[in-house]
This record gives sequence, C-alpha cells and structure tokens, in this order.
Amino acid sequence: MAAITETQDMSTATTSRQMLLRMVSRVWAWLFLGMLVAVFSVSAPGFFTVRSFQNIGINASETLIVALGQTFVIIAGGIDLSVGFVMGLVSVVAAVVMRALNLAGYPQGLVLLVGVVAGLIIGFIPGLINGLLIARLKAPPFIATLGMLGIAKCFAFLLSGGQTVGRQPDIVRLLGNSYFIYVAPNEPVTFFNPPPGADLRSVLGVMTLPLLIMIITAIVSHFVLAHTRFGQHTYALGGSRDASLRAGIDVDLHTMKLYIVCALLASLGGLVWTMRFNSGSPIAGEALMLNSVAAVVIGGASLFGGEGKVMGTVVGAFIMAVLYTGLVMLNVPPFWQFGAVGVIIIMAVLVDQAQAGIARR
Amino acid sequence: MFRWNRVWQWTLIVVLVLVVLAPTALAEDPAKKPNFAFIAGVNDPFYITMQRGAQQAADLMGVNLIVQIPETWNATVQTPIIDAMLSRGDIDFMFLAPVDKEAMIEPLKRVVDAGIPMLTVDTFIGDGDYANGPVTFPLSYIGSDNVEGGMIAARALAEALGGKGKVYVQNVKPGISTTDQREEGFKKGIAEAPGMELVGVDYNDDDAGKGQAQTAAVLQREPELAGIFGTNVFSAQAAANAVKNAGLSGKVKVVAFDATEFAIQMLKEGTVDLVIAQKPAEMGFFAVEMGMAYLHGYVDIPKRIPTGYAVITRDNMDDPEISKWFYTGQSD
Repeated sequence: MAAITETQDMSTATTSRQMLLRMVSRVWAWLFLGMLVAVFSVSAPGFFTVRSFQNIGINASETLIVALGQTFVIIAGGIDLSVGFVMGLVSVVAAVVMRALNLAGYPQGLVLLVGVVAGLIIGFIPGLINGLLIARLKAPPFIATLGMLGIAKCFAFLLSGGQTVGRQPDIVRLLGNSYFIYVAPNEPVTFFNPPPGADLRSVLGVMTLPLLIMIITAIVSHFVLAHTRFGQHTYALGGSRDASLRAGIDVDLHTMKLYIVCALLASLGGLVWTMRFNSGSPIAGEALMLNSVAAVVIGGASLFGGEGKVMGTVVGAFIMAVLYTGLVMLNVPPFWQFGAVGVIIIMAVLVDQAQAGIARR
Repeated sequence: MFRWNRVWQWTLIVVLVLVVLAPTALAEDPAKKPNFAFIAGVNDPFYITMQRGAQQAADLMGVNLIVQIPETWNATVQTPIIDAMLSRGDIDFMFLAPVDKEAMIEPLKRVVDAGIPMLTVDTFIGDGDYANGPVTFPLSYIGSDNVEGGMIAARALAEALGGKGKVYVQNVKPGISTTDQREEGFKKGIAEAPGMELVGVDYNDDDAGKGQAQTAAVLQREPELAGIFGTNVFSAQAAANAVKNAGLSGKVKVVAFDATEFAIQMLKEGTVDLVIAQKPAEMGFFAVEMGMAYLHGYVDIPKRIPTGYAVITRDNMDDPEISKWFYTGQSD
C-alpha cells in the first residue's frame, strides 16, 4: 500500500530543494560564465574593459557562428564533424576568387560580391552531400560527416596549394577589421575611420562587421529555433524520429535542410575569417571543429537530441572564449590551460545528468 | 558504504569548478620591471630552448618575461593570445613567432596600433624583408637564414653519398616561412650536384607519426633511396624512426634539422648522420636585448638579424662548444 501511494505522490510532489536544484541546472552555464567574468575582472588587470570584452567577442565570432549551425544539427540528434574544413574550404574558395579578380583589376565591390557568392555556393555542396548521405542513405552522422571532413580538407588544400591565400582587395581587410564607430578623448566621434591625427592608443573602436554578423546570426537562429515551424520540427526530430514521421513531418527533407544550414553557417564563419585575417587558409577552422560541439554541449544541448537552445550555445561559446582570454591575461602556464575546456565539458555533462536525475523523479 | 548519488555528483561539480579556477592562483604578479611578451609558435623543444635564451637575457637585464604557447600551429589559435596580451594594457614589448606569413599581418597591426614595439623571431610575416618588403612595421626579423640551412643539408648529403643518389624530403606543411625556405634551399643544393635526384617531398602536418608512415611508404617504393632530409623537429624524428624501423640505419643517410634530444640520440646511434642545429637560444636572447635597446632609445635596430647554425656530426658532438647548441626540452 505504502509503495503505491509513494509512486502516485512522486510524480506531483516537488520539494523546494528539488525545485532549487532544477533551477540551478538550467542556469548553471550562465552562473558559471558570470563567475568566470567576476573572477577574471578582479584578478586580471585590463579584463573588465570595453576593449577587452569586445576582443573576446570578436575572437569568438567564427566559433559561435559555426556552433550555431552545429546547434541545429545536434538538436535534431545528429552531429557535423566537417564544419571546420568546410569553413577552411570556403575561406580558400572566396580568397582564391577574390585574389584572381583583384589582380585582374575589377572593382572591389564586385570582387567582394563574387567572392562571397562563390564561397556560399561551394559551402552549400558539403551540406547537401551530408544531408543526402544521412537522410537518404541512412549513414550515421558521425561517420558521414567525418568522411566529408576529409573531402573538404582535400579540396581546401588542393585549391590553395596548402598555402595561405593572400593578395586580397583592400575592402576585405577593411570590412573585417575596421570599427563602425571610433571614440577618442577630446575628439568628436567618427565613423568607419579613426579621427585623423589621433593617438591610436587612446582611440576605442566600437562594433566591427564580424561582431555584427555574429550577433545577427545568433538572433536569427534563436528566432528560427524558438518561433518557427522549422524549429519545432527540428526539436521533434531530435525527440523521436518515429513520432515526427507519424506527425507528418518529412523527416528526410528536414534532415537535409539541417545539414545544409549547418554547412552554410560554417561557410559564413569561413567568410568572416577571410575578412578578419585578410586571407584564405585551409586550416582556418581546424581548431574550431571540436570547440563548436563543445559550445553546444556546454550550453545544455544533449548529444542524443531533442534539447538545446541558441542562448545556451552562445553562453557555451563565450565561456570558452572568456576562459581562453582570461587565462592568458593572468599568464597561467599554457599546459594548465589545455585542460580547462575539457574540464568544463565534463562539468556540463555531469550537470546534465544531475538535472536528468531530478527530472526522472 | 559509499554510494554514487546526486550529492556526490554535485560535490564533484563543485570540485571541478575549483579545479578550473585553481590555475588562476598560479597567475603571476606583474612586477615593476618592463613586461616583455613572448608568444611561441607551438610547444616544441625549439621554442622551449628559445624561451631559455630569452629568460637568460631577461634575468640579466631586469625584464619580466611573459610567455604563452599556442596549442597548435594555427593563426586562429595564436591570434586570441595576442589580443589577450594587448588587453592587459601593461605590455612594453612583444616578440613572437608568427604562424602564418599572410594571416598574421592584420592581428600584428593591432599590436603596433596599440603602441607596442614588436619583432618576429624564427618566422616572419610578408616576405621577411621589413626594410623594403610589403610588410615593414615589425622592428626586426631575428632568425636563421633558412635557405642557407637547406643548402647546407643538401651539400652534406651530397658529400656523404659521394655526389650520387636518390633523396627525399620530409617537410611540415606548405606556407610556413622557415620550412618552405629550407625546402627551397635544399632543392637548390641538390641541383648543384648533377648525380643527385630528388624523388619526392611529403608534408606531415608537424605530426611525427604521420611523417613516419609517409617515410616508410617511400622507403618501400624507392629501394634505391639513399638520403632523407627532415626539415624540422618532428620531420627529422619521423624520418629517423622510419629508417630505423626498416632496419636501414646507416644505409639510408638522414640529415636532421633541429637538434632535439631525440635527434642527438639518433646521431649517436648512427641512424642520423648530420644534425643542423639552429640557435634558438640566441634568437631569444637577441630579441630581449633588442627590446631593451629600443625601449632605452636605441632605435636603430637592424631589420634583419641572422643567426647561425651549428653543424653537428658524430665526430664533434662531444665538444662542449658544439653540444651547448643542443635543444633541451625542459625549461628551467
């Protein structure tokens, strides 16, 4: 008798302790980010400045853009390991095209447009192939995208000769590195160019194009995932493939769309990289591949699918960016830094498990 | 009895938080001495030795040397480290080994814009000619003449093989200024000896395991292969290991660039016949010296400071004047 009563009660009774734990699990990433910022602000001179925060954001831009694409795929229960080299491939394609057109003397605006379009078209292809392999041929996402990684890497190296591709038109580095607004003491605010004659050390630039692209991409991704049918279908797919099928969702088509979205966002990351570094490099995204997955996982998504939020990925990416920068500013010995992100991922998994444990009761 | 429940799970989480933050206790106190930032290319004995030389000069001249090392040889990884150093706001001088001669130009412009004098060690940006080339804002390029280094390797192999034979190059990845030049110099040197033939060049991505596999494959398909040139630390390691594993020590001559403990060991054993040592400690020492000179108003720093080589053979490796150039993997 007592056992039956217990079972009936357990599903409805939540103690305040359980509620507190559940709330903490949901916001732990935010809390952790806040704590990191607080600790670094106090112990690292120069950390708590507009310049420093902006630099963290700018250096996180490619990682976050790629991670946003990864978010879509992971929520649906998949994964895309090819993003790093799709990013590199697109960076190279855009740079090679722009270099050729630039040296042939075409106007810079046109060169930029052709380069960007070429990059996006080429970036679309790995997404399509991934989608076909995974949706139509039922290949496991891990394997299919791992194979695509190699193919993208091959073409990126072939096209670039393994070298970094330079000789870009000036517009590329200007778009990637100029600030929209310049603020200097005793000078009027200027736009797109620093105040003439000002001492560059005291000038603060605010907002660059890569940063703006990152912010807009995050907002759009959030909107799509949270407020559109496309987003709903994505969560449904991750929750249960069969249930989605029975609900009338064209699972195969939707899966393909997701991998295309992921590849296009990786391509956008590659284009942003090309602008920031004024060149195209096949290895531009090599370091970001695993970091993009880490950002999504730290942000609360489950690798089994069905859960995750754009804001979570944003927090995850910024936790890593803040960590990298803060530890360098404190001059922590490099070897200790290597493990920092790994530890945080483990923490994210533990918190996820603890939260799941609460939810099960 | 111990039971793994949620309490322990949360305890572990708290412990991990503390573990992550613990390294901040290792953070250094900025001293009143000038702060010199040194950013290496990647973690390997060459840059550790460079750090040793730099630290020696720093101790002599009263400089606070701040060293950071990127996890991989990649512009995307090196750049945030540079930006973090700039954000500190208290760096007086910076020297680094830029990992990409094109992509690192924009990030390094930010260093100059922040008013921090800088120079490059070992590698360069642009074409390395900071006087008349496309990039002129770094104060100096301190490093070996890598074309010459490649030629030394080629001539040494030619001599060891009596001017005739097939040779192969184990290289890192195209686009690194230093190793590109070593390959270029090697090819020039081989061209000088008509009896020598270059059968191939492979790129191992700075991965000794990959290089070993590549070399093993070449040893298989070229039974007449007589000599191999490994262009850096890991490439030389890969070549030596592959030759040894194939039982060809002594039959296939190996010339190794960079005097790591491993290369020296292989030299002793007979698998490697010649080790060309750069002088990274000298590069590091000069970098700190030039920084102090500049900060004290002696601004006419030469735009190019070449450092030399020590050519190490089994015959001279015990001479202390030679052995002092071995790269030791530990930083003191």
